[in-house]
Amino acid sequence: MAVAGALLVLTFLTVAVTWIQIPEPFNVIVAVGIAAIKASLVALFFMNLVRDSLLNRLAFVLSFLFLAIFVVITLLDTLFRDSGFPVF
Amino acid sequence: MSTSNHHTDDHLQHHFKDEDQQFESSKLGMWIFLVTEMLMFGGLFVAYIIYRAWHPDLFYLAAQELDAGLGALNTVVLIASSLTIALAIRSLQLDEFKKSIQYLSATLVLAATFLVIKYIEYTDKFAKGILPGGHYSYEGISHEMAANFFSIYYLMTGLHGIHVLLGMGLIGWMIIKVRKRSVHSRYFTPVENTGLFWHLVDIIWIFLFPLLYLID
Amino acid sequence: MAETSKQTISIREYPVDEHPDKNYLNHDKGILSWLITLDHKRIGLLYLGSITFFFFLGGVLALLLRTELLTPAQSILDADTYNQIFTLHGAIMIFLFIIPSIPAALGNFFLPMMIGAKDVAFPRLNLASFWIYVAGALFALFSIVTGAVDTGWTFYTPYSTETGTAVVSMTLGVFIMGFSSILTGINFIVTLHKLRSPGQAWGKMPLFLWSLYATAIIQILATPVLAITLLLLIMERVLGVGIFDPALGGDPILYQHFFWFYSHPAVYIMIVPAFGIISELISVFSRKTIFGYWAIALSSLAIAFIGFLVWGHHMFVSGQSELSSVVFSFLTFFVGVPTGIKIFNWVATLYKGSIDLKTPMLYALAFLFLFTIGGLTGIMIGALSVNVHLHDTYYIVAHFHYVMMGGTVIALLGGIHYWWPKMTGRMYNEVWGKITCAVIFFSFNMTFLPQFVMGSQGMPRRYFNYLEEFQGLHQFSTIGSYILGLGFVMMALYLAYSLFRGPKAPPNPWGARSLEWMTSSPPTHHNFEYTPVILHGPYDHHQPEHEFRMGLVSESKETHG
Repeated sequence: MAVAGALLVLTFLTVAVTWIQIPEPFNVIVAVGIAAIKASLVALFFMNLVRDSLLNRLAFVLSFLFLAIFVVITLLDTLFRDSGFPVF
Repeated sequence: MSTSNHHTDDHLQHHFKDEDQQFESSKLGMWIFLVTEMLMFGGLFVAYIIYRAWHPDLFYLAAQELDAGLGALNTVVLIASSLTIALAIRSLQLDEFKKSIQYLSATLVLAATFLVIKYIEYTDKFAKGILPGGHYSYEGISHEMAANFFSIYYLMTGLHGIHVLLGMGLIGWMIIKVRKRSVHSRYFTPVENTGLFWHLVDIIWIFLFPLLYLID
Repeated sequence: MAETSKQTISIREYPVDEHPDKNYLNHDKGILSWLITLDHKRIGLLYLGSITFFFFLGGVLALLLRTELLTPAQSILDADTYNQIFTLHGAIMIFLFIIPSIPAALGNFFLPMMIGAKDVAFPRLNLASFWIYVAGALFALFSIVTGAVDTGWTFYTPYSTETGTAVVSMTLGVFIMGFSSILTGINFIVTLHKLRSPGQAWGKMPLFLWSLYATAIIQILATPVLAITLLLLIMERVLGVGIFDPALGGDPILYQHFFWFYSHPAVYIMIVPAFGIISELISVFSRKTIFGYWAIALSSLAIAFIGFLVWGHHMFVSGQSELSSVVFSFLTFFVGVPTGIKIFNWVATLYKGSIDLKTPMLYALAFLFLFTIGGLTGIMIGALSVNVHLHDTYYIVAHFHYVMMGGTVIALLGGIHYWWPKMTGRMYNEVWGKITCAVIFFSFNMTFLPQFVMGSQGMPRRYFNYLEEFQGLHQFSTIGSYILGLGFVMMALYLAYSLFRGPKAPPNPWGARSLEWMTSSPPTHHNFEYTPVILHGPYDHHQPEHEFRMGLVSESKETHG
């Protein structure tokens, strides 16, 4: 119950921060940060990872790790498509 | 554990040595399946991130067309449904079958509510000519890539919507199972796994909502 | 995971019933008992039959391609047909044959047996995985008869979104087969974690299982990305969503990122199980404990991980950023480290072993030779500057055939010969086995070695005609491919003969030590009539064989808890 309450508060918060116009890169960070906290709450308490076996927790973390690899390495291309190799 | 063997119904399959082993196995299997789900959605998130990095102005303009109010409402609906399904599992573990069915039914209703709201949003967009990809014909956004944003929007919410439908099917099936008392405090694996799936659907929406609706 | 409570168990030796009346082959009768079987051994054989069929189909297509290449000008195929046939050859060999080959066929059969389990964790999902594979295969075959596909097996955009051929049904087929691969992966991971027999610690698992474990991890992490990629491609064709198609504002290089995020790890789905088979063969036929058990086991996991970091080396000339090309090239070299560790450990295992040159061992040695060529040329073309020169030439074609055929297929053949007595209960003819192995080894080199030369001289891949200066090498290669085809026909003949006329196989014809040899050949329906208890490692050839046949004394379930 408390978890659900926290999730609702955070949902309100994430809408509310759009009203106060945080400058460019930080607004995304705040929005995704709140979403990450909410997701962790769901995973830890609703999905009971808090008391689950190490292996199941590992599986959850692993998927985020590999997503991060996917994103970061692809961005290495897309963000630097038009610039040459930085050292040369 | 030895006592539980005397209760063994037809749900213990021959190749498992006891119910603990069977429960842990199917739960691990479910978690690994969830990993594959996350990576499948991950592909769409990668596409989102890359296009947003390329065209931040497009995402700002196009997101104005989306109704953040309805999005927020849907977030609340899904969080509530996550709570009800968690409570349904709790009741089942206590052998409170009636309560469990009530909570599962509530989850089903909330899921349907989510889809109805989504339907309202979609029809509203369709009416304006905001259709995915090649069928896009809306003039209201002054950006040449506007169709691409809505392609991503429809793909992400569409795939998510399909998962909501799948989840509803599973929940409906679980209601039947509880009714038949084929799940109970000693064997609730299918309901537990359905719950896990449903929470994942919730988690994905938790990320979709700020990324698609709340761009300022 | 493992039970932590202290408990005493009593064990005794269970002698093998040499030729039990009931085994898994005659446990149930009738076609239907095979089609809806939940027995992992039968599902393994269903897979083995299917991949054999598709290997034959892909092989016939390959021979057609080689026949066209006998002459510089057009001979039997026109350009469009040639494009379709090399696409189908690639797609069939990759998606229908090699990805399911070792894990789904041999892995399904032997993974539960090697850990002393009665079945995989989810037998129904296992059966579903087979039928999903069949459904996907039907889609793929459907696309062949409804206009084929001419994009190459990689379905690169924007051509794949524009060509008039049956791309949608083919990609849908591959999409569906992805689920089959995922289900196999889930099943293997859960089975290895949860169903190991008493005493079967991770450190006592046969290395084949470590390699299947690493493979399963790749399958579940990479395959979903292929699914979404192909889904996007289908949406691109159906709705014009414009993620990949430049005409709609999309980015074709992004498609390549998505595709290779799956397909490079998929290369390791194909080769890592082969490493596992080779570890088994080399140790058993050297009568020696494997050298560097943990190094081989963990290097499989290392390959699985590094495999996710290097996909961009397929894209050096695609127009991706220079920065990412440099990073990818740098990371690519890391793959060589765990692979090298394996090769050195195998050679160290051979050293001073009492080597028994049976047919499976000949394949293992052929693997060492061919895979090393394939691997080292891979390091070469991982270097950025060399790659730009050799990109899309026959050098690449030769490289991946040395890895995929010289590596995976040769290991698969070694594995089939090694486990043939266990699977069928019959011995094949050793002399014919050796002759065929030699034929395949030499004709394989005859086929693909000239392609390295042609590639380095600038012969591009995927062309149905070529300059006259390449004719000699092309003809040499084509003749080699005919002999290679003959080799496979010979193998089919003597293996089929052994099924009917071969002598009955003893339970452990090779003197191996791992658990699957400690039951009858062919095994009974439940693999073991007792719960096996593992005392020694799988390669402890210095321990007496009967100590590997231990099992729990009491069959009742009260022995624990």
